[in-house]
Amino acid sequence: MTAAVSQSRPFVYLEPSPVVTQQPFLRVFVTPATLCAFGFAVAMIAVLQYSVRAYIPGSLEAGGFTLSNFVALLKPLYARVFLDTVWICFLTAFFTLIVGYPLAYALVFTPNVAIKSFVLVTVVTPLFLGEVVRTYSWIIVLGNNGFINSTLLKLGLIDSPVQFMFTKFGVVTALVHVTLPVMVIMLAAALSHIDRDYQKAAESLGAGPIRTFITVTLPLSAPGIVAGVTTAFAWTFSAFATPQLIGGGRVNMVSNLVYQLGFASFNFPFAAALCVAGLALTFITLWLFRWIARPLERMGPH
Amino acid sequence: MPRSAFQRLLRVIGISVVVVILGFLALPAVVVTLAAFNDKAILAFPPEQWSWRWFVKAVEYEDFRAGFRNGATVTLWASSTALVIGAAFAFAIDRYQFRFKRLIETILISPLVIPHFTVGLGFLILAAELGLARGFAVVIVCHIVLVLPFVLRSVYVSLRNLDPRYELAAASLGATPGRVLLTVTLPLLAPGLASGWLFAAILSFNEFTASLFVTSQRTQTLPVAMYNYVREYADPSMAALSVMYIVVTALLLTFANAFLGLGKVMNVERSH
Amino acid sequence: MSNAAIKGASAERTDFAVTLDGVTKRFGGVIAIHEAHLTIRRGELMTLLGPSGCGKTTVLNLVAGFFMPDSGEITIDGAPVSRLPTYKREIGMMFQNYALFPHMTVEANIGYGLRMRGVNRAEIHKRISEVLSLVKLRGLEDRRPRQLSGGQQQRVAIARALIINPKVLLLDEPFSALDKNLRGSMQVEVKEIQRKLGVTTIFVTHDQSEALSLSDRITVMSDGRILQVGTPEEIYRCPAQRFVASFIGDANVLKGKIERVEGATALVAIGDARIPVPVTGLNKPSPNAAVDLFVRCERLAITTAKPIACTGRISALIYQGGYIDIHIETPAAAEGKVLLRLPGHGSITKWQVGETVGMAIDGTDAVAFAASC
Repeated sequence: MTAAVSQSRPFVYLEPSPVVTQQPFLRVFVTPATLCAFGFAVAMIAVLQYSVRAYIPGSLEAGGFTLSNFVALLKPLYARVFLDTVWICFLTAFFTLIVGYPLAYALVFTPNVAIKSFVLVTVVTPLFLGEVVRTYSWIIVLGNNGFINSTLLKLGLIDSPVQFMFTKFGVVTALVHVTLPVMVIMLAAALSHIDRDYQKAAESLGAGPIRTFITVTLPLSAPGIVAGVTTAFAWTFSAFATPQLIGGGRVNMVSNLVYQLGFASFNFPFAAALCVAGLALTFITLWLFRWIARPLERMGPH
Repeated sequence: MPRSAFQRLLRVIGISVVVVILGFLALPAVVVTLAAFNDKAILAFPPEQWSWRWFVKAVEYEDFRAGFRNGATVTLWASSTALVIGAAFAFAIDRYQFRFKRLIETILISPLVIPHFTVGLGFLILAAELGLARGFAVVIVCHIVLVLPFVLRSVYVSLRNLDPRYELAAASLGATPGRVLLTVTLPLLAPGLASGWLFAAILSFNEFTASLFVTSQRTQTLPVAMYNYVREYADPSMAALSVMYIVVTALLLTFANAFLGLGKVMNVERSH
Repeated sequence: MSNAAIKGASAERTDFAVTLDGVTKRFGGVIAIHEAHLTIRRGELMTLLGPSGCGKTTVLNLVAGFFMPDSGEITIDGAPVSRLPTYKREIGMMFQNYALFPHMTVEANIGYGLRMRGVNRAEIHKRISEVLSLVKLRGLEDRRPRQLSGGQQQRVAIARALIINPKVLLLDEPFSALDKNLRGSMQVEVKEIQRKLGVTTIFVTHDQSEALSLSDRITVMSDGRILQVGTPEEIYRCPAQRFVASFIGDANVLKGKIERVEGATALVAIGDARIPVPVTGLNKPSPNAAVDLFVRCERLAITTAKPIACTGRISALIYQGGYIDIHIETPAAAEGKVLLRLPGHGSITKWQVGETVGMAIDGTDAVAFAASC
């Protein structure tokens, strides 16, 4: 029984703060969650399991043990998709940081409560709209008959529509928009925890607003930057609707490939291998990033 | 004084930058709203004639209606179940010690870092292996797993902010642990539970990627129905639907901000 | 043990409302309570006094049942309760921040304990009225805690704890959140209520003047150990240990030597003065041994007549309303200075800052302990 506390010790102690020391309801509270965890673990193991089994065309069943799926990943066709994905994730994370930092700063340091609420709602709302609505809105902005092209044509700046759809640029732009709320929230969380006194001290010592920012605020927000970029990267990697709809098959990320293989050809084993490789890639990249960023993190306030 | 003029200039630049960025954020919403009112059947901008017809069509379109019903079913079941399971487990994490505590917690939090397409594929494969039909059960379980991390975090934060002395006082007055829960703990946690549920419901209703994998024609949720529609048709009914989405979500969030303090939930309030 | 002996022992036991018998409590590697033995008599107000971290709150929590002791036994009314959960112990508790349920009205708060015991509504209503009269808080039944002042909240908290007729009332630093004026009047009221109802009370505080004024008996604790148990007067006048002497009241520490030992008394020499002290606080009293003499502020006086114990320079004269505090720097003091307290206003003009004066010691209540190096 996973959740059992042995019968010979009916009382278990926690931190030295007064707590009713028996543990009633332990089983009732923990079992459902345990079942969920178990179910999810089994699903993930299924993916892992399928990734090392052979694909039997035309059937949902999988064959025997083989590493051929992973070998196939090394083919230029698929390897390119991985590299594209990583590159898109980096670009997105980078630009989201550039665009998101001023917004987070404004959100945290504006004294006006109404403006704060307005910015917060404006930033957070897209987060709750779901990928399809957001991506679809970008189609209307980026399309050949869409907002940008219509405006530029009307203003006479261009003669024929500029192609934004089905390009990396379009995908990255939409992805930045999708990732912005998350980045702003994480940056704002970090910025809000910087003690105002540090800035006051810098100002009292003669630093102007720009120097205060560069020498005090920016370094102290480093942990938030690291957290934000890491999250942005992980989120973007998981993006599907945006590259699918705006990339239109010409810009493919790992997620799209998994869908095409898993659904179109029911090649579960290869799709699973892609998932596993993708997970590994994400973790390695993030681990590398955190390792590089560790000296930056130490600068943050504690 | 030169310094204050410089500061004023900085402020102007700063405000302009923020306004531009906010414009960038709001641009798609504005554009899609305008496009939704276009009378013509093409996805064009700006609209030449204004009309409500796409709104009417969106509401009457059977796939969207079915998608809404399915989505509502899945969401209600998933977020309510996730709330109960998550709240109970968060309570256990906060108060109890037991074997595998960290392990179970890690597994349940992991959907935050595992791409939804992997989760979706996993449940799809699992269902196929177990011979389960792709009905609501699989979708609901998948959603519960995806939404649980948020519920856990939300309830855990509420529990941490709850002064343990209320429960101690109740116990000292003779309340058994069960009655302490019912009469003191739950009423005091209610706002946290409510916002956790709301958060979970919104996320579940809008979830797309994993749902694309685990839903079937019969059980497709609204986002999946919208996706299928966009792939085939280019008229503004999707725009109309998006506008309705945006309005409802913005209203819900403004309401949540007023009552529950969105800033606190998102952990972006200033500490002095 | 024979039947008679057992009966005798248990009869003795039930005279005590609460006992701790060899109770030890550890948190992680830290020993919070070390083999505590304590008996609390029925109807008395026992104060647990000590600095923060001494373990007094842990003792309270052990009696309440929030923790279980690692070893030893706790009894309430003669019955062992160490394994009994809190909600079965029939205790009433008042917390430092009152812990009034914010989502319930005053009436619902007070009636909570009775509801848990299944008392019927009419009876609950009647008893709430009674207890509200007792704490002088009628008319506020429908308010929420946040609408009440600090003093009102405290009365509600007391009412809530008393209405269930607890075997023991536990008070956890209940007055520390109140401002000074309110604190004084609330202390008096709570003491009156306690005496009227005769409920056994354990009171935790770090404020020694509060302990001295309210308690029937005081238990002084430090570092998880009980140092002394006694009435306020006993603790104040006959501190058994150095820590107790320095913790209670304002004591001056003067350096002296033992001249000779006569039975239960040792004679301490300071300057020209000879002060008799009990030997109980001294380790190995022998002539010429260095000791620290603890003298209360009221027992020092400025004098020109012999015998002069020590001399010093006045560094401050502070008017305190009903008395004057005189700070004198003197090499005879272990900390280099002493504090005299003189009643009345007249003394403020008698001496000047900077003046060198001689001091005499009134040996009443003086105690000495082995000199600390």
